[in-house]
Amino acid sequence: MTEAPLLELDGVSKRFGSIVVADSLSLSLGRADAVGIVGPNGAGKTSLFSLISGDLRPNAGDVRLDGRSITRLDPASRCRLGIARTYQVPRSFEHMTVFENVLVAVHRGAGLRGREAFGLAAQVLDETGLADTANERAGRLGLQQRKRLELARALGARPRLVLLDEVAAGLTDPEVEGLVQIVAGVRARGVAVVWVEHVVRALFGVVERLICLAAGKMIGDGEPRAVLASDAVRDVFLGTDYGEVAPG
Amino acid sequence: MSESTAPSVRVSRSRRSSIWMLVAGVVLLAALASLPYVVYANVTDLFVNFFILLTLGVTWNLLAGYAGLVSVGQQAYIGVGAYAVLVLAGDGMSPFLAIPLGALTAAIVSIPVSFIVLHLRGAYFAIATWVVAESFRLAVLRAPSLGGGTGATLYGLAGVDPAVREAFTYWAALAVAAATLIGCYVLLRTRFGLDLTAIRDNEVGARSVGVRIMQAKRIVYVVAAAGAGAAGALLIVSQLNVQAASIFSVQWSAYMIFVALIGGIGTVEGPILGTLAFFLLQQSLAERGAWYLIVVGAVAVLMAMFVPRGLWGLVGDRFRLRLFPTGYWVRPAR
Ligand SMILES: Nc1ncnc2c1ncn2[C@@H]1O[C@H](COP(=O)(O)OP(=O)(O)OP(=O)(O)O)[C@@H](O)[C@H]1O
Ligand SMILES: [Mg+2]
Repeated sequence: MTEAPLLELDGVSKRFGSIVVADSLSLSLGRADAVGIVGPNGAGKTSLFSLISGDLRPNAGDVRLDGRSITRLDPASRCRLGIARTYQVPRSFEHMTVFENVLVAVHRGAGLRGREAFGLAAQVLDETGLADTANERAGRLGLQQRKRLELARALGARPRLVLLDEVAAGLTDPEVEGLVQIVAGVRARGVAVVWVEHVVRALFGVVERLICLAAGKMIGDGEPRAVLASDAVRDVFLGTDYGEVAPG
Repeated sequence: MSESTAPSVRVSRSRRSSIWMLVAGVVLLAALASLPYVVYANVTDLFVNFFILLTLGVTWNLLAGYAGLVSVGQQAYIGVGAYAVLVLAGDGMSPFLAIPLGALTAAIVSIPVSFIVLHLRGAYFAIATWVVAESFRLAVLRAPSLGGGTGATLYGLAGVDPAVREAFTYWAALAVAAATLIGCYVLLRTRFGLDLTAIRDNEVGARSVGVRIMQAKRIVYVVAAAGAGAAGALLIVSQLNVQAASIFSVQWSAYMIFVALIGGIGTVEGPILGTLAFFLLQQSLAERGAWYLIVVGAVAVLMAMFVPRGLWGLVGDRFRLRLFPTGYWVRPAR
């Protein structure tokens, strides 16, 4: 008997009125996979994450984790089962410290308490380079640190699958480089990563598979360079610089 | 992840030592407890009202300031607490001993209600809580055994020396207010309290990291009902009678909202300052009738516009002060 994939989407559809953000999407993701997702604005990338994390319920289709349907579970339960996400617009706890932000995730997402919880929270802050800001109020962080806090909070839940929604957007080149290192490290310790990013250059440092979404449909899926070179994807990105930013 | 790379940290629950706060708190409590030996009942009566308002403000703040549940119907549970004491005293129980049972009754009643109102959001929730309070009032009006529309008198304290009764009422009110405040503080220091603080700041963010929002809201709703029930129980004990129209009045919600907003919503300290401010306003304007309401309303509007974080927002932020530290402070271990 073959092991069920980590995550499976089976004919998942979602509409907002006449807008179709997911059009019968099916995909399968293995343990420790690293997948990038690109697509024009409004393609449905964030919505796809919400369908996986439970922030959105699909109109049709099934989402499975380890072969078990999680379609009816709420976001908190899915997080406790190992799916953590970041938000494109950060949803940090503004009046709490950076450490406390992560600690909530460690308590509930990872299910730890006491010294064990403090240990994991400190470790995550170390890994994401936020250790120096542990006692800083989240509301006082700059953009780079805010993006990192989103990542740190997701990692605090000790996920098996982490969904990153434009965590590199707005960062400078060296900041993006630092972030790529962190995500590569997370991936290297066995956490599956799905990363939505307009900065395709960042994705190339981590992912070995690229999915291209447009109008809720998958128009490309495979080896990143091949996907970016395909006609369908080139058509969608006509006039943008996606092709050129792919290195090599 | 190897354990050896794990950074070790020491985590304490406040930046500075809070031992002096504890000492000050104990001294204050002792001083307040000895008040009936020092002053006359007209003064302790004022304090009873203060403690009732404080209890209401603290629990409403938990509800609205932390769990995001803006209720305008807590008077439902004030009434349940008061009428529970009325019934228990009618059965021969000491009204003072009935106070905790009044709180318990309110908590129990709130559980089934929570399954209805918590599924509504924002304004719908607010309206539903008010409808619940009105239904309770109408139910009492149709119950002659509870005095219906004319009200009912509390039995069990008639034979007691008024001075003794007033002293015990004062101590009961002090005990309820202290228990509410300390209980709220202890609750906020637990893991559950950190969940609530996260919900306060960002509900979507909280649920995304595993916080069970509905469960947290239900617990807070029930705790707040218990607080309102205790306040209602104190009200009937201090007034010796109860009237459906006033005990279920929406003005209680107005007071709670005022106290929490003025003091600083979503902080432990806020409702204390807010109750003080409200009380000073009330006392200084007591003889001016309608002016009192106008001034209170104007203060609330001005505060909401210019000092949205309340009095404690001004003081606490300026001096980086926390009377009730609920956070976590990290130091690198050496
Ligand atoms: N809650 C909602 N209600 C109605 N429409 C929505 C909602 N959420 C998203 N949409 C619409 O669905 C479409 C897809 O949105 P989504 O955020 O998934 O796109 P995206 O690929 O993440 O875009 P971007 O690159 O700009 O982040 C957009 O047209 C958006 O306006
Ligand atoms: Mg998006």
